[in-house]
Amino acid sequence: MAVDCEHIPIVNYGEFSKRIHQKVVESKIPIGGSIEITSRCNLSCAHCYINLPANDSKEKEKELSLKEICKIFDELEEEGCLWLLLTGGEPLLRKDFLQLYSYAKRKGFLLTIFTNGTLITKKLADYLSDWPPFSVEITVYGRTKETYEKVTGVPGSYEKCVKGIELLIERKIPLKLKSVIMSLNVSELLDIKKWVEEDLGLSFRFDPLLNARLDGINKPHYVRIPAQDIVNLDLDDEKRMKEWKEFCEKFLGQPLKKDKLFLCGAGINSFHIDSYGNLTPCILVRSKTFSLRNGSFKDGYYKLFPEILSQKPSKDTKCRTCELVAMCGQCPGWAGLEHGDMETPVEYLCEIAHLRAKKFKECWGGVTETFKDTKETISLSNNPDEKKS
Amino acid sequence: MDFLDCCYQKDQSVVSRKIADEIILVPIRKNVGDLESIYTLDEIGAKIWELVDGKRKMKEIKNVLLEEFDVTEEQVVSDMKDFIGQLEVMGGIKLIVEK
Repeated sequence: MAVDCEHIPIVNYGEFSKRIHQKVVESKIPIGGSIEITSRCNLSCAHCYINLPANDSKEKEKELSLKEICKIFDELEEEGCLWLLLTGGEPLLRKDFLQLYSYAKRKGFLLTIFTNGTLITKKLADYLSDWPPFSVEITVYGRTKETYEKVTGVPGSYEKCVKGIELLIERKIPLKLKSVIMSLNVSELLDIKKWVEEDLGLSFRFDPLLNARLDGINKPHYVRIPAQDIVNLDLDDEKRMKEWKEFCEKFLGQPLKKDKLFLCGAGINSFHIDSYGNLTPCILVRSKTFSLRNGSFKDGYYKLFPEILSQKPSKDTKCRTCELVAMCGQCPGWAGLEHGDMETPVEYLCEIAHLRAKKFKECWGGVTETFKDTKETISLSNNPDEKKS
Repeated sequence: MDFLDCCYQKDQSVVSRKIADEIILVPIRKNVGDLESIYTLDEIGAKIWELVDGKRKMKEIKNVLLEEFDVTEEQVVSDMKDFIGQLEVMGGIKLIVEK
């Protein structure tokens, strides 16, 4: 619908997003964030860092209530949040999902839902069609029933996921598909990609990096694919290689901010809230939190975050002088989950970064030595691997 | 009915947000506005949006604008017609019809 009035300049989301993000940097406004409305899930995926059983009644009791979530939404609106991600666990598992979604919509958030798609019913799809989200993102774990369910551990989940995708496509609901790649499904990556992009005409991305679980159990480690295979996925993917080349040209070779532990954009205009109402700067940082059950979002965001983000490194790890830091997935969040402290290098990530540098050098004739120094801030969130699922 | 005697109310399908000193309109329901886009309001637009409350007539809003902005009456009425018309098109406001 065209609107042509000088008092209502109309801009597309991309343009608006760029402009508003530039504007909010100095003011620190929490323009975007995520909230896990449950840690429970109806699937039991081998790689998942959070999922708890769907019928875990004790866990259910600990979760934020609808009233508590609505209060948090009120506070987020007040502080200027615009983009809000509803995630889990499986967010659609909550019986009050539509109530909280509807409340958030009326607050004017641009809502994205991360879901496995298996609980999408006709009724829910109709509702989302009438009150459209900014986007729904569904993770596809395999192109065949056998592989998909090897990952999810739940018979019948493949058909439900495909049905969920179809229900959203039929209603033209903004939809993106993605995959988490692990040893159980790497053989089907190209088939999934082809299906999504060519048959369904939707955008697709994948994430091959599996971080440790929040509860410290090493489950995801067992299905990680070797570093060499991860780099091969890059080398075989023209789009990904282009993204990496652009990224390297822009960010590599920059000196590290030696007095900072956090080199990324976590907590700067962004936040994460877990299913118990604990506020953190990012989805991976769980060691120091602020309970929104005991205090306001404003206090947590403006008082705790600067304290966390101004932390200085306490030890001299190899990462502090590594010239590949920008293209490495190493960050305080990953390290915290992997080792229980935010600084110890994650060897898996180190291996991948160095192998990437070696292979990219073979492809492009140079990595760090040929790339220009720029004044732009290193932002690991721009790293092609860091578009978390 | 003369435009200045008209009264409009906001439609609940559009939500206004103030973000970093910008007033934006977010369409939240299907077939309202363009869901691919964001509507940003300039200063006069934001003031009109604020004043549209289902009670004030356009002439009352016009008087507020004349007091607060350095514009002529002719210009302000023309701008209001333009702005209100576009808000109606996008589904952001509705004319209140007196029975």
